Amino acid sequence: MQITKLESNKFKTNLSALFITIPLKEDECTKNALLTSVLRRGTETYKTQEEISKKLEELYGAGFNCGVDKTGEYYILKFYLETLENTYTLSGENILQEGINLLLDIVFNHEAFNKEYVRQEKENLKKLIESRKDNKALYAKERCIEYMFEGDPYATYKFGNVEDLEKINEINLFEYYKNLLENCRIDLYIIGNNINDVQIPDIKSKNIIQENIKHISPETVKIIKEKQEVTQGKLIVGLNVECENKAAVSMYNAILGGGANSKLFQNVREKASLAYSAGSNYIRRKNAILIRTGIEIENYDKAVAIIEEQLNDMKSGRISDEEFDSAKQLLISSIELIEESKEDKITFYFDQNLFEENLSVDEYKKMIESVTKEQVIEAANKIKEDTIYFLTNNK
Amino acid sequence: MQKIENKKIKETVYIETLDNGMKIIIIPKHETKKKYIIWGTKFGSIDNHFIEPSTGREIKVPDGVAHYLEHKMFEQESGIDSLYTLMALGLDANAYTTNDHTAYLFGGTNNFYKGLDELMDYVQHPYFTDANVEKERGIIGQEIGKYDDEPSWKLYINLMDCLYKNNPVKLDIAGTVESISHITKETLYDCYNTFYHPSNMTMCISGDFEPEKIVEEVKKRLLPKEKMGEIKRIYPEKEYNINKKFSEQNMEVNIPLFMIGYRDAIENENNIRKQIAIEIILNSLIGKSSKLYQKLYNEGLLMSGLEFYDEFADEYSHVVIGGQSENPEKVNEEIVKTLKNEEVTLENFERSKKAIYSDYVSEFDDVESIGRIFLQDSMRGINSLDYINEFENINIEYVKKIQEELFKEEMSALSIIRKK
Repeated sequence: MQITKLESNKFKTNLSALFITIPLKEDECTKNALLTSVLRRGTETYKTQEEISKKLEELYGAGFNCGVDKTGEYYILKFYLETLENTYTLSGENILQEGINLLLDIVFNHEAFNKEYVRQEKENLKKLIESRKDNKALYAKERCIEYMFEGDPYATYKFGNVEDLEKINEINLFEYYKNLLENCRIDLYIIGNNINDVQIPDIKSKNIIQENIKHISPETVKIIKEKQEVTQGKLIVGLNVECENKAAVSMYNAILGGGANSKLFQNVREKASLAYSAGSNYIRRKNAILIRTGIEIENYDKAVAIIEEQLNDMKSGRISDEEFDSAKQLLISSIELIEESKEDKITFYFDQNLFEENLSVDEYKKMIESVTKEQVIEAANKIKEDTIYFLTNNK
Repeated sequence: MQKIENKKIKETVYIETLDNGMKIIIIPKHETKKKYIIWGTKFGSIDNHFIEPSTGREIKVPDGVAHYLEHKMFEQESGIDSLYTLMALGLDANAYTTNDHTAYLFGGTNNFYKGLDELMDYVQHPYFTDANVEKERGIIGQEIGKYDDEPSWKLYINLMDCLYKNNPVKLDIAGTVESISHITKETLYDCYNTFYHPSNMTMCISGDFEPEKIVEEVKKRLLPKEKMGEIKRIYPEKEYNINKKFSEQNMEVNIPLFMIGYRDAIENENNIRKQIAIEIILNSLIGKSSKLYQKLYNEGLLMSGLEFYDEFADEYSHVVIGGQSENPEKVNEEIVKTLKNEEVTLENFERSKKAIYSDYVSEFDDVESIGRIFLQDSMRGINSLDYINEFENINIEYVKKIQEELFKEEMSALSIIRKK
């Protein structure tokens, strides 16, 4: 297990994060999502969730959280534990050590899975998958990814599907878990003050390296319209990025849709009053940018036209100094804020390590600072419109 | 300048009250790069009836005016929206309106003083015209429409309607399309001139600051204003019973949402201690480590932990408990029964106390949460550090007394949002 300690005196709490990394495979997502929630139900030491909750409260209300995520060609099971720094306890207890012991217990100390727990968690996961459509904006974004990356494991919904779920029981899930632990990479990050004396046992971990799957854009832009009962349409445009200069692409994304002063916000929302929201995200590890807007259904054509106009303006270099500076300011600020958040800092360093870039926050900031307008224009010409997804109503 | 040091959590708070009556609270955090400022006025959606101190005139304003005013503050005579000016500086800026206050804020790592220029400029320079007030009506109308579509907001407002008959806490903060149709630039100026007087405002600042120096920076940017007497606020007569037991509405939700409320009409001498006691009771009896939660989870009646908190100000006080369940009536029945009959054991008490204590300490982790908490508490006349100290004074007998007084079935109500 790779252990990384990030000393910081900014906080009154410590955060420990354990990541299990495996290759992203379509047929394993459901099992991974279910596994994460079964693990937190009870261990060999703490048999029930009630016992775990009590232990957490004794550790000054330590916060435990877990989840799953996909990034690039990897799937990650995440487990977090936040504890009050020992200095602030009422009688000087060492809750960091006890907290980490508990975290490791939840992840590793299982000899079998309880049938009832697995049944209940299957029910819960089923409800979660079925209520996916409730959050329209998120749903539309994920659907656009599914269409854009058709045939690539990245298209998979991270919580899996109901069909796969039906086939899982406590026996085959436990077998899967045992096998998973033999063939995964495990990272433990600890951030906070006074974290050096923590004792951590050695846990076997493998190096998992996945080749980046290169995405090839279709000849003509893929257009998908999906109908649902919505009052506001959700228009998502996926862009394929064929540029290796990631700092320049970050700047491109910030100018295009980074904040209230971005091209999308100013032109789609403010000037044309077409959208309630407009912005874009850079999915760095899949070389993609997603433009997200919420619009009146009848404004679809107009909105697509204005978005395409912004993309063309970027290509031909119609970027004002104000737009450029404001975007850089925004990016720099958000990078500086990484150091101010325990979770963001861990996420940053883990990502840097996993993708073998190994930049520090400061180095990353310097890279952004040095990006020129010419580099952004060069990047713009290597960015292609790929997929248009529209969540519309039945009319 | 008043200096309050807390040795337990190693923080020092500085409070300065200026000659014009404005309060500045500074919580230095020398280790962080992020700076945060929040400037609030004690003017919220419940303040719709008052006597103007300078003229003695009694004024009744349409519902939603505090929120309308907040929206209009960003508009400058130059036509440039102050929010964008702040964002172009790389600052994260915002404003909000609650039941009892309105606040303007920003945070970030750079350009703090340029941001301070802008913030103090726009909050002190209202620019209302017939045309720009009119323009906003459509935008706020849309926002009200969005709230009307928001299940969790309706859930809460419907619960307030159960707990109170006339208290303005039950009103939508943004008002209604009808009520805002009566707002004019005169209404906004009346409210601005009364409630945006420094004596009714508090500013909280957290980050790497020297208290004296930052106070001077603020003073430099403050416009001179004549002294003003106290604002008399007129509220409906205090209520001692709930309005109704139950509310139900159908909306776009997959699993029903529910919220249980307890109306608290008892006057206690120490609100901070009481609040801690309430949290201990709820955490012990219906929190994640409780027997009840385990039972409801195992029966599939709950999928995740209940959310609970208490809200109080001079004019209202209640406890709310919310969650999602396929059978909200059953969950309500179990919770009400448990809070009435189950006792907080000494073991529960000690464990919960630790967990809640740590919650309070963790709030000092980040300049943003520090600023917000000090402002909110200050609007209710509370110094946030008192929470940390009050933990020493709480015992199980007191907790039991509060439980018996507060969690009465006849004072509880249930609000549900169900699938269409």
